[in-house]
Amino acid sequence: MAPEEILNQIKARFGEAVTEGEVKGVEVRLTVKPEQSWEVCRFLRDSGLEYFNCLSGADWMTHLEVVYDLSSLRHATKVHLRVPVDRGNPVIRTVANIWRSANWHERECYDLFGVRFDGHPDHRRILLPEDWVGFPLRKDYTDERLVPYTDYGAEEKVPKAEAGKPGATEAKPLKPPTPPHPATA
Amino acid sequence: MNRPIPIGTTVVMERTGETMEEMYVNMGPQHPSTHGVLRLMLKLDGEYITDCIPYIGYLHRCHEKIGENRNYTQVIPYTDRLDYLASMSMNFGYVLAVERLMGQKVPERAEYMRVILAELQRIASHLIWLGTFGLDLGNFTIFMYCFREREMILDLFESVTGQRLNYAFYRIGGMPMDFPDTFLTDCQAFLSWFKQRLPEYDAIMTDNVLFQKRVQGVGILTPEMAVDYAVSGPMLRGSGIKWDLRRNDPYSIYDRFDFEIPVYDTCDVWARYLVRRKEMEESVKIVEQALAQLPPGEVMAKMPKTIKPPAGQIYSRNESPRGEIGFYLISDGSPKPYRYKVRSPAYVNLSALPEMLRGCLIADCVAVLGSVDIVLGEVDR
Repeated sequence: MAPEEILNQIKARFGEAVTEGEVKGVEVRLTVKPEQSWEVCRFLRDSGLEYFNCLSGADWMTHLEVVYDLSSLRHATKVHLRVPVDRGNPVIRTVANIWRSANWHERECYDLFGVRFDGHPDHRRILLPEDWVGFPLRKDYTDERLVPYTDYGAEEKVPKAEAGKPGATEAKPLKPPTPPHPATA
Repeated sequence: MNRPIPIGTTVVMERTGETMEEMYVNMGPQHPSTHGVLRLMLKLDGEYITDCIPYIGYLHRCHEKIGENRNYTQVIPYTDRLDYLASMSMNFGYVLAVERLMGQKVPERAEYMRVILAELQRIASHLIWLGTFGLDLGNFTIFMYCFREREMILDLFESVTGQRLNYAFYRIGGMPMDFPDTFLTDCQAFLSWFKQRLPEYDAIMTDNVLFQKRVQGVGILTPEMAVDYAVSGPMLRGSGIKWDLRRNDPYSIYDRFDFEIPVYDTCDVWARYLVRRKEMEESVKIVEQALAQLPPGEVMAKMPKTIKPPAGQIYSRNESPRGEIGFYLISDGSPKPYRYKVRSPAYVNLSALPEMLRGCLIADCVAVLGSVDIVLGEVDR
């Protein structure tokens, strides 16, 4: 189906659930509310978008977002679907029963963002160890082991006249922190 | 032979009356044939695999989190280390994504350089795949032959970039420097040498009855399953689906070259083997055409000092030797990406492994895993 037709049909069927929708070239860009996201996905699959490219999470500070990228192997249409999810209780219905490929993508989204997928057949972490606490790709994730990235070369230069004096009290230029030795960590 | 057995049944041996139950065998993270740190939990019924549970994450290096804390050019060396056997393709995919986001045009000569390096990288990656695949199945000679040719490609890359691996050679807006003067002759010498070597590989592998018996009819992935699992690259083309991003969703200047897309429809390991074997020949054709058409000129467009794409998002995809490498970037107008996600082909292809292994013998596990062609660097990121 042509991209405009897909967008019109979705707007006609799911009216108030579609908060944003536009067509850019061959791509349909949609934002849909989480309550109807599974039905929209089912409709998209039935309209011929059988190839599930990618599912990624995104952390906008006020809410989390699940982003679906779909395409077809028979025509050039692509769909970019965004579903904002509540940050305090991020739950969305799984689409692993629509596209099998979504299975591992959703596990990764849960692993790194903490979004729970209702009805997922194998809901556990995939990349991080099972006992990991926290969801690292969230913007407010902290860990004392994280080393802040320093822009080397951007520090203040030590004045030349006092550089030779022993026991100089001025701040020395920052040295990169040595990474911990793998055998001692 | 695919014998469907419901999971959990107890099989009674008719002759002796003994019962067999399911057994778990761990193909641990350290294993010579898992092509990296991959753990496969195999559920066996005697010698038949009833299920396979892959455990990944042993090589997770927080690539996406790091990408959010570096500016766009600083991410390029990290992309090398994603699929470290096809670094040029990873670089290519990433800079293409940023350039699409910015609407940046790249000079002609740089486009040709990119295609030449990417296709040479495809040949090198398929050579490693072929060598290690043969090695897993017991063929030591092909390993030596493939790595001999790959050394020649690495010498070419060293003359261009200074590196044998992890080149970080692509830049947003073009290439950092031009080819050296010796590159044209060296590359043509390599291509003419390589074309004579392909029949040798055929003699050892493709025409080898022992090899054929081990890979034909094994690891079936039907076209419907292939699309449902969204596999890409040679796995998709080995299941009879003619889909290659260089043809179907063209990027850079691939539409100027005349090359075939090999497709085989037996859906087994043999089909995937033939696809990759043929792709090496097609890549040689592309490089020859590109070298003949290489225009003079500059290799880097005029770029601002800090690269700040306009706020927006893009999902940009490329054909890497393993399949569709996708980069999903969200930019908020600052010099660092707001969200940077890598959709790696080996990650998705590996998710189809349980489907392919169901009903196979345990001895086929290595052949099927080899045909998926995974690189744990991009699976785990």
